[in-house]
Amino acid sequence: MKDKIFEAKDVVVKFNLRGNTLTAIRGASIDLYDGETLAIVGESGSGKSVFTKSFIGMLDKNGWVESGSMMMDGVDFSQYKTEKEWLQIRGKKIAMVFQDPMTSLNPVKTIGEQIREVISYHFGTEKEAAKKQAIELLRQVGIQDPEQRYKQYPHEFSGGMRQRVVIATAIACRPKILICDEPTTALDVTVQAQILHLIKKLQKELDMSVIYITHDLGVVANVADRVAVMYAGQIVEYGLANEIFKDARHPYSKALLLSLPQLGVRGHELHSIKGSPPNLYKEIKGDAFAPRNPDAMKVDYEYEPPFFKVSDTHYAKTWLLSDKAAEYRKELEQINAAKTEIKPAPPMDFSNAKPLVSVRNLTVNFKLGRKEFSAVRDVSFDIHEGETFSLVGESGSGKTTTGKAIMKICHTSGGEIYYDGVQVNRKMKAHELTEFRKNVQMIFQDPMASLNERAKVDYIISEGLYNFHAYKNEKERKEKVAAAMHSVGLLEEYATRFPHEFSGGQRQRIGIARALVVEPKFIVADEPISALDVSIRAQVINLLNQLKKEKGFTYMFIAHDLSVVRFISDRIAVMYKGRIMELAETEELFRNPLHPYTNALLQAAPVPDPDIERDKEVVVYDPSIHQYETEKPYWSEVKPGHFVWANDPELAEYRTRLK
Amino acid sequence: METIKTTKAQDLPQDLFTRADFHEELLEDTGFSNYSYWRSTFRTFFKSTVVKVILVIMLALIAYTVIYPMITDLDPYEVALSPVEWNLPPSSEHLFGTDGVGRDIWARVWFGTRTSFLLAIAVAFFQVGLGVIIGAIWGFYRKLDTLMFAIYNTLTNVPSTIYLVLIAYVMKPSIITIIIALVATGWISEARWFRSRILALREADYNIASVCLKTPPSRIISRNVVPYLVSLIIMDVALTIPSSIGSEVFLSFIGVGLPADLCTLGNLVNQGRSAFLVYPYQMIFPTMILCIITVSFYIIGNKFADASDPRNHV
Repeated sequence: MKDKIFEAKDVVVKFNLRGNTLTAIRGASIDLYDGETLAIVGESGSGKSVFTKSFIGMLDKNGWVESGSMMMDGVDFSQYKTEKEWLQIRGKKIAMVFQDPMTSLNPVKTIGEQIREVISYHFGTEKEAAKKQAIELLRQVGIQDPEQRYKQYPHEFSGGMRQRVVIATAIACRPKILICDEPTTALDVTVQAQILHLIKKLQKELDMSVIYITHDLGVVANVADRVAVMYAGQIVEYGLANEIFKDARHPYSKALLLSLPQLGVRGHELHSIKGSPPNLYKEIKGDAFAPRNPDAMKVDYEYEPPFFKVSDTHYAKTWLLSDKAAEYRKELEQINAAKTEIKPAPPMDFSNAKPLVSVRNLTVNFKLGRKEFSAVRDVSFDIHEGETFSLVGESGSGKTTTGKAIMKICHTSGGEIYYDGVQVNRKMKAHELTEFRKNVQMIFQDPMASLNERAKVDYIISEGLYNFHAYKNEKERKEKVAAAMHSVGLLEEYATRFPHEFSGGQRQRIGIARALVVEPKFIVADEPISALDVSIRAQVINLLNQLKKEKGFTYMFIAHDLSVVRFISDRIAVMYKGRIMELAETEELFRNPLHPYTNALLQAAPVPDPDIERDKEVVVYDPSIHQYETEKPYWSEVKPGHFVWANDPELAEYRTRLK
Repeated sequence: METIKTTKAQDLPQDLFTRADFHEELLEDTGFSNYSYWRSTFRTFFKSTVVKVILVIMLALIAYTVIYPMITDLDPYEVALSPVEWNLPPSSEHLFGTDGVGRDIWARVWFGTRTSFLLAIAVAFFQVGLGVIIGAIWGFYRKLDTLMFAIYNTLTNVPSTIYLVLIAYVMKPSIITIIIALVATGWISEARWFRSRILALREADYNIASVCLKTPPSRIISRNVVPYLVSLIIMDVALTIPSSIGSEVFLSFIGVGLPADLCTLGNLVNQGRSAFLVYPYQMIFPTMILCIITVSFYIIGNKFADASDPRNHV
């Protein structure tokens, strides 16, 4: 057994907010062992960030550690107050990497200066020596030409590179513990894979322990030796990564693992956790998860469970493990055993499908200062009636721009877009536009930004009804609003509330209700789940699928993660730098990914299985492998329904591969 | 980590360890904060004692300017024929003394304050109102940029004093003239300020959602955008009032303001100025009231701006 280097015990963190005292952390404990990675998994509001911020005294001004201890090297620093005290810990012993690399860097200082300052400040190193160390650090975090880049400013770095710089700053003082707070959430999947690789490499080289905070179970599988699952301000399960992934005991961890979109089976409902996680305003009695757990016991509503031991390294905070629940456990096992394996629904039949949306040679150019660049280049595809078409790509690939162009909320520079045979990207007549707006709706990515905070839910959902005069009298309008709310699983009486009274998942469902109240045929869903919590994602996906079945919607689904769209899409197009690289039916694409970029995307997406994830190699797509100077690439069909962007020699190779 | 070995578990009755009823309808209840933007804004606003004190003073002052003309029998325009009544120092009979023709300055100050207030409120109302409407249209229709910026540059590059003087010369001196003069120079800066605010809101997802639903721009502006700006508008009005009073004083001071026989703070200060070296109180008292009003409004406006920022709602 390795040595324990840090122990937080029964930590309680409270906040003062508008006259109320709220408890954010309700007695959480973790142990950290030398050289290991502990992943803390939890949804937003579970308190994972607050918990770790309290380790380095970086709570917001209105928060404080009420009780508990934090022991490192025999010193309890939980009650440190002054900056001077904290500086003995912060940076030197425990350093932190935050989610957004841009906000952690000073935009008006060169990145070299910023690292050098940290070194000089903490160790009092001479300027020249510190500069040398800083350059060495930059090299260590995998930045090419560190001498040159030392003099550059943060805006000259890409997101992934910036995050490397932030990591370099964090490890500048050789901390024993590195806390990474969602360091890759703002990054693309392929960049994420590289950063995770880097953190692991540095951990080995510098012999650090890492606390990794994330909501993504795939990332956990990749990095973690141990996992702590957090819910409503408490650790509910703690154990080795394999124990958690293969043998989770707490109902919440179990449900979380089951609800992953990666595990979805075509045509069937995803296992979902109903409801929303409690926020700080809700009074919690007994097991915080009980109200959302359909198999909860009576005792869960009454008493808070203690930790039960599963193995020497595995503990779970649930009454299910108590001796008295033995009978109930058996009952549950029987129910689970009775569930039969479900078969995936057959893929969609395209033989007599008719296109609803046609995009032909779409090009969108933007002006950036004097320069013009193409966000979307020469993109063509059809979306058939009743289909779910997914557009997958990283940030900057032009997928959202394509979606917006179809929605007619973005200009186009070339090509045509047709909806139901009518060209969209031109000046439409008033009645044509009304017809188009009625039939085509959009669901937005960020539920926090997509609702008008100053209007009641009633108005937000009725907006379309007012615009299209789609009701005869006030009573009918109210009925329609109620029906829309009901179909997204919200209670009618919420209509009089304001959006800020809802959680992220509920807000997203209000957004969906707003779109479906006008009874559209085609919906563009722009990353509708990427801003949501893991336990909510399954709900929203199920809702979208169910609405598709009931109302016969056609979807265009925009996403950045291939694995998530797999079980909901009929066809997938992979976009890179404004161009579609590959387009095929879902299963075909996963079976025979042809383009190297598709491969890289497939590889990079984290899989929630530690055995697969740990030894995964990072594949980086390098566009310079193509010899496009000599042979021009073009868009061609290698196999019925399978299109790829390639030149003649590549096509020949792909064809032999397919045989 | 150690397990908490509870003996408590042994004491619990067995029947608790059976399936509980699952209430699906309770699931959506996550508990929510009773946060309300306006309540929090006012709570933060009234937390400061400075604000409370100033607000009380201001209300008293405004109330007094309204009530005073009703309860007094002093006529601010009444000229005393006997030189004995001229230039009297402050006394219990004439609290602020009398001026060169024996008019009671106390009465004149309150009548003047009332006129100035009415004028300032009118200017603030029209200037901010025009600014919001034009700014909203300007912000929503990009095509107007060229035209509006041309107007903006023309109007702001020439010092506003020159317009004020010009307009005051061209038109007959009256309250309406002053209002027109002040609004004519002030609206464009207001409009530009609101335009920048609206630009920031315009691209928000919820506005794009409204566009997708074919909500007419007029309703997007009135339901989606302006409600976000109400606190800014209130603040803006509070800051426009003292500056309008100041401008009126300035215009009267240089002699192109309101007719000299009308009671306004500007005229009072101007008339007091001529006798300042001999009878300083004739200028000091009106100036003092002027200072109290302007400083108070500035403080209230700024404090309200702070309070309306959600980041300060802790």
